[in-house]
Amino acid sequence: MEGNNSIIRAVGGTSGFDIPAVITAAHELKSPLALVRQLSLSLQAGECTPRDIEIVAERITLTSERALRLTNDLTRAARLDDSLFCLEPINPLTMLEDVAHELTPLYKAKGRKISVTARRYSLLAVANSDLLRRILLNFADNALHYSAPEAPVTLSASAMGAGERIRLSVRDFGPALPADIWKSMEGAIGNGATHGIHARPESSGLGIYIANQFAEHMGAQVGVTRHRDGATFYVDLNASTQMRLL
Amino acid sequence: MKNARVLVIDDDQWLVDEYTRTLTAAGYTVERAGNAIDAMETIDRLKPDVIILDLFMPGPNGIVLLHEIKSHTDLSRIPIILISNAAGDLKPDVLVPYGVLKVLDKTAMVPGDIVAAVKRVL
Repeated sequence: MEGNNSIIRAVGGTSGFDIPAVITAAHELKSPLALVRQLSLSLQAGECTPRDIEIVAERITLTSERALRLTNDLTRAARLDDSLFCLEPINPLTMLEDVAHELTPLYKAKGRKISVTARRYSLLAVANSDLLRRILLNFADNALHYSAPEAPVTLSASAMGAGERIRLSVRDFGPALPADIWKSMEGAIGNGATHGIHARPESSGLGIYIANQFAEHMGAQVGVTRHRDGATFYVDLNASTQMRLL
Repeated sequence: MKNARVLVIDDDQWLVDEYTRTLTAAGYTVERAGNAIDAMETIDRLKPDVIILDLFMPGPNGIVLLHEIKSHTDLSRIPIILISNAAGDLKPDVLVPYGVLKVLDKTAMVPGDIVAAVKRVL
């Protein structure tokens, strides 16, 4: 029991997580773990062809990696401390391409496409590269699992205002979110509540909450734009005043 | 019931691949739908013998689909097997009026359970 309490305190940390958040995290992990289990049982049943075995093994790996990203994010979110996260100038295009590259195997295995659209960038953004990467991976993973099948997912960067802010976006395509769900999602970003986002079922809103926590620690802001044909999740960062060295 | 047609409704295509492999090996014809809207179109077109339904899907969820199926006299007779990670939170007696004859827990089932469930409801 003491061990469990220390784990709960560790998760609670400085981020304000509480028991309901732990339960939410457990719920989020159920889906990938149940899938890994089923895939493993299929292998054990011994009825797979050699090609099936290759495919199932790849799916076990990709699903496990997805679950590990969540657990790593949870751990990081529980230990947010300003002194640990240095901010530096980041090339938005390089970051987006890095994220797309990491997720391409998962997207490809699901028959989906992830791409980056950005013109060659002269502006740098101020961010912690690890936290920013986690936010974008979170958004792109969310887009893969909750948007319409066969619809593309696009990562992009744009300058806002007079170039003082940089927006990195993940655009997905699918049914528009109903207005009431939309309001609760905006609330989840605004006040950090981990309540359900029912239009994207089996998503508890934990990912958005974690992304919001990470963004706040960088002086950034996450948000979501509702479209008739999907959604855009974005993170707004301060532009760097440092000139990029060509 | 040999060659019975089973419709699997679940947005997780990798899980559906596994169910399809198991059910096909047991001699069933498997159709699949990844969301409630495609599912209704398939149900109208093919009138499956059994429906295996996931609860949580993008767009209208499994509960909405249950209501829709129940509202049609001819479709309401199709036996339904509900399959979910949240099976432990479901009250089976509430689901019976919707034609749900069996609930499977994704986190605890083994591959053979889905075949056993289909045999039981047919």
